[in-house]
Amino acid sequence: MSHKSSIIWLQGLTCNGNSHSFLNYTHMPSFAASFDMLYHPLWCSNEEFLSLLNSEKTFDFLILEGALSHDERLLQRFNLPFFEILDNLSARAKHIICAGSCASFGGIFRLRDPQKITGALFSGKEKGGYWLEKNNVINITGCPVHPRWLVETLMTLHNGEHVSLDEYLRPKEVFSYLVHHGCLRNEYFEWKVDSKQLGEREGCLFYEHGCLGPMSHANCNKILWNDISSKTRAGSPCLGCTEFDFPRRALYETQKNMSLPQTPFGISKRAYYTLAGVAKSFKIDRLEKKLIDEDN
Amino acid sequence: MKITKEIIERIEGEATLELEWENEQVSFAKIKFFNYRGIEEILKKRPLLDALALTPRVCGICSHSHAIASVLAIEACYKNAGEALTISQKAKDIREIALNAEKIHNHIKWYFFTILPELKRISDTSYKGNAFKDKQWFEAQQAVIQTLKMGSHFTGQWPHGSFVMAGGVTCDPLKSDIISALGCLDAVIAFCEEHFYGMHLEEFLSFDSALQVMSASSALSYGIDEMIKYGFDRLGRSFDRFLALGESYRYEGSLKAAKTTVLGADLKYVHESTEHTFFEDKHKGYTYSKSAMYRRNYCEVGPLARMMVSKDALMRDFHRRFKDAALTRVVARAVECAHLLLRTKTLLEQLNLKEPSLILPKRDIYSLSGEGIGVIEAPRGSLIHYVVAQQGVIESYDIITPTVWNLGNGDKENPSTAQKAIIGLNSFTKADFILKSFDVCSVCTTQ
Repeated sequence: MSHKSSIIWLQGLTCNGNSHSFLNYTHMPSFAASFDMLYHPLWCSNEEFLSLLNSEKTFDFLILEGALSHDERLLQRFNLPFFEILDNLSARAKHIICAGSCASFGGIFRLRDPQKITGALFSGKEKGGYWLEKNNVINITGCPVHPRWLVETLMTLHNGEHVSLDEYLRPKEVFSYLVHHGCLRNEYFEWKVDSKQLGEREGCLFYEHGCLGPMSHANCNKILWNDISSKTRAGSPCLGCTEFDFPRRALYETQKNMSLPQTPFGISKRAYYTLAGVAKSFKIDRLEKKLIDEDN
Repeated sequence: MKITKEIIERIEGEATLELEWENEQVSFAKIKFFNYRGIEEILKKRPLLDALALTPRVCGICSHSHAIASVLAIEACYKNAGEALTISQKAKDIREIALNAEKIHNHIKWYFFTILPELKRISDTSYKGNAFKDKQWFEAQQAVIQTLKMGSHFTGQWPHGSFVMAGGVTCDPLKSDIISALGCLDAVIAFCEEHFYGMHLEEFLSFDSALQVMSASSALSYGIDEMIKYGFDRLGRSFDRFLALGESYRYEGSLKAAKTTVLGADLKYVHESTEHTFFEDKHKGYTYSKSAMYRRNYCEVGPLARMMVSKDALMRDFHRRFKDAALTRVVARAVECAHLLLRTKTLLEQLNLKEPSLILPKRDIYSLSGEGIGVIEAPRGSLIHYVVAQQGVIESYDIITPTVWNLGNGDKENPSTAQKAIIGLNSFTKADFILKSFDVCSVCTTQ
């Protein structure tokens, strides 16, 4: 039998959404063939947590879910201050994987007290979270994390291969894509045709409805969620949940400057507004009509 | 007096159960939830619609329930401000399909990932659980995946999908989406028929006697046998007082039941208490969970409550034999799951795609001031969102979750539903299982 990698799953301030998302992983028997879940707070304690804590053994993966804090009044587990647990386990883990935006950046729960509640290495955009520095942390952001992002990263490391990371320590294979890539509303974006209202298949959600797809890093519309859909495919704007500033204020509104929306990631204002002006000057009849004409 | 403190593991989140003992029996229990997150505070001063995106993050296992409760609260704000919104039947049905997917998946997960292994653990303390190991665990996980995939045709994703909006839903599905969703649902039904019930759904739902369920060979009858073996057909009884404030296709309006007597209920009698919490007293408090009461009485919410108020014949028979014991509570979830599977199939088959998904409110949301209440029946019971808005901005947001109803903290004279179910037991192991029979969600509680 080949070597299995060991995992301890630890929760900070969380909604459990990343655990439940992980459980949506379609090929769980393959995962189980390569990994030993020593401890997961919801489903298994193959070993007593306190004996894991009192052990001096090293293990392969510490998965962190939820925002972190050194303040024991804000966070404790097993009647112990959280930092005692995390400091102990992190010293013996080969890799530390932050599953979701809370563990990575602090996420939604950081908003309550940004001074004391943070991600592992970041507090929002700023470097320096629970730790100032650590060289074995990978952030897999998202609210929640996609099960494939998590498992495929674990698998790559288990196979002894390198995972290349972006400036926020996120795997490039996932986070070099934008949510915009693969969005079914792309043609409406190209020709600047706005969605008249939510609840319809037609139109782009970027101009009025707050969609952050063109500036949010993730391959949601490439691999889809629950093997079938995504926020934009269900007619809702991307909330930008993989980014350090999630959740922004007024999520269903497009933030504008002089009535112009923010430009897509990495596209200069000049390039974007020039092209947008030209595209908008043409009225494309087909794109003004319903996608499927039910009357014919 | 002896006091013991034990961590309750393998629930949604973590709880500490502090037991007071007299003559080898539990004389009082304190249920403690830590790790408060403060979503109600985070929502303050944000635009109303942000609640649709943020409240699902209260809970990873019932995110759609929170999304629906929050849209109902916002729609109630419109109504209270003089504009009653029209919600198409299609949008109502899609919301119900999404909610049903969440309930079905929750009940399968809870029975196969919590109840069955916890029962094994009672007789074999060295038992390490079934997760990521047993064939049946993997099959149940596939059924969970298919259930959520069915719902995601409409909600985009689970957990934390966005699909509701004031006035309806945002998705606009095609016939082919419905066919694909039905295919997923059929796979879930096949799993439940083979493993959970040991027979066809129609046959299971035609039963009106506990003996019919117990005579089949199934995961459910196995669980019932085990529970009887350990005395859970008698243990875990509480006040026999139930409440279901949210709507259901199986009954009209908000209802309450005392034993088998069913009467109308009214939201105005709901009362939230911060007694024993850190909110009230930083030093003397011992939990972040508030307590909810109806007319100052603790009531049980959840699948058993819904079955009791809808006068479900099969559950009435279980109740006649076992009262509101832990066994009855567990079986109610399995029975509700069967009803929901068939109901969801009907909803999918009859969904009228010609209707609009969303009918926009006429009023600008930034002109809305006032309050609104949204109530739904979430997997674990009645969930209430109460919002006060000023010019479309949230002034205050209050969430009462099902676990706050079931697992609040009263005192010795007036214990909560779960406390009452635990008092009198003679072992921690039994108390642990009975607490879990309520399907504890500590993350919801410490929102």
